[in-house]
Amino acid sequence: MSAIEAIRREAGTQDDLYQEAAQTYGAALERMARAYEADADLRRDLLQEMHVALWRSIPSFNGLCSLRTWTYRVAHNAGVSHVLRQRRTRGQELIGLEELENLPDENSGERAADRRHALDRLLGLIQRLKPLDRHVILSYLEGLDAAEISEITGLSAGNVATKIHRIKKMLARQFEQGGERR
Amino acid sequence: MTEPLDSVQKIWQDQPVEGIKMPAEVIRKRASRFERKVKWRNIREYAASLVTVVLLGYFAATTHDLLSRVSFGLFIAALAWIVVQLHRKGAPKRMPSGVDTLTALRLYRAELERQRALVKSVRSWYLAPLVPGLVVYAAGQALHASTPATWIRLVFLVGFVAAAFRFVWKLNLRAAECLERMIDELNASE
Repeated sequence: MSAIEAIRREAGTQDDLYQEAAQTYGAALERMARAYEADADLRRDLLQEMHVALWRSIPSFNGLCSLRTWTYRVAHNAGVSHVLRQRRTRGQELIGLEELENLPDENSGERAADRRHALDRLLGLIQRLKPLDRHVILSYLEGLDAAEISEITGLSAGNVATKIHRIKKMLARQFEQGGERR
Repeated sequence: MTEPLDSVQKIWQDQPVEGIKMPAEVIRKRASRFERKVKWRNIREYAASLVTVVLLGYFAATTHDLLSRVSFGLFIAALAWIVVQLHRKGAPKRMPSGVDTLTALRLYRAELERQRALVKSVRSWYLAPLVPGLVVYAAGQALHASTPATWIRLVFLVGFVAAAFRFVWKLNLRAAECLERMIDELNASE
């Protein structure tokens, strides 16, 4: 019995495997949708798009990567398509991690007193990023390690490591100076 | 530096979520709605071509003029060629599931470049095949044109077709420019 057959047999049907992925990573998908779309209505649509993309992708799931990696890839790709589509209509300018790193701390002098404020600031930063950089920072925030991020994004391990270093530096600067204090 | 970074990760992971449930039934319905839409769009396109071929075939069978019959035959051949080209080169390619983001972006760009090449070359695969039929048809009409009124009608017809060709060409050039911008934006997004 091949690995693929084993996975299929274990998972049962397309619906079962989808339900398993949706149940386990549903909250992560919601957080991703939030990072890709600020508007609540469009975000609901995007989340549904992510779920539909995931359900449709299940028959091609070959077990060569974990269900988590697969789910994140599919959801991120739906998010990236959404960003590129929206960018055409909104004309939004996206920036890279390097530029974000050099941005002045918008909140200097002001203390981000609560988690809500810190989260809003974080989302604001993420939503300005180019798709690939956004993908890396989201995966980092979700707690994925460099190897997993490399597997999901297709970037080399070295490239991911550089990006993570930049992310850490930027976050440290933004949330230490800006005052992510609780 | 680790502690604040850990707390940023924690803030991200602990953010309240609505816990939206997507029943498989709802997902399946939405997915099949999309498949149906694509299927019907294809059926509509092929049906329109079929109706045109049937009409041209009818004209070819009922006309007594040899040149007109030849021209209708050439139009049918041109239409068949166009449909085959559209099917081979123009059918949208479906993105494979579960590919990494870099690959997805590259495939998306390749798809945009393919579409750009198609609309840019509209003169060779769409307009040019129609020319022989048009020339033969116009020649047939010119041979039978005996009064100034028929000549004027013919000149108007040729002018109208030339304007329509130019319009289609310009429209496709504009589409190519739009695709070019999308490719540039995509390059800037990486």
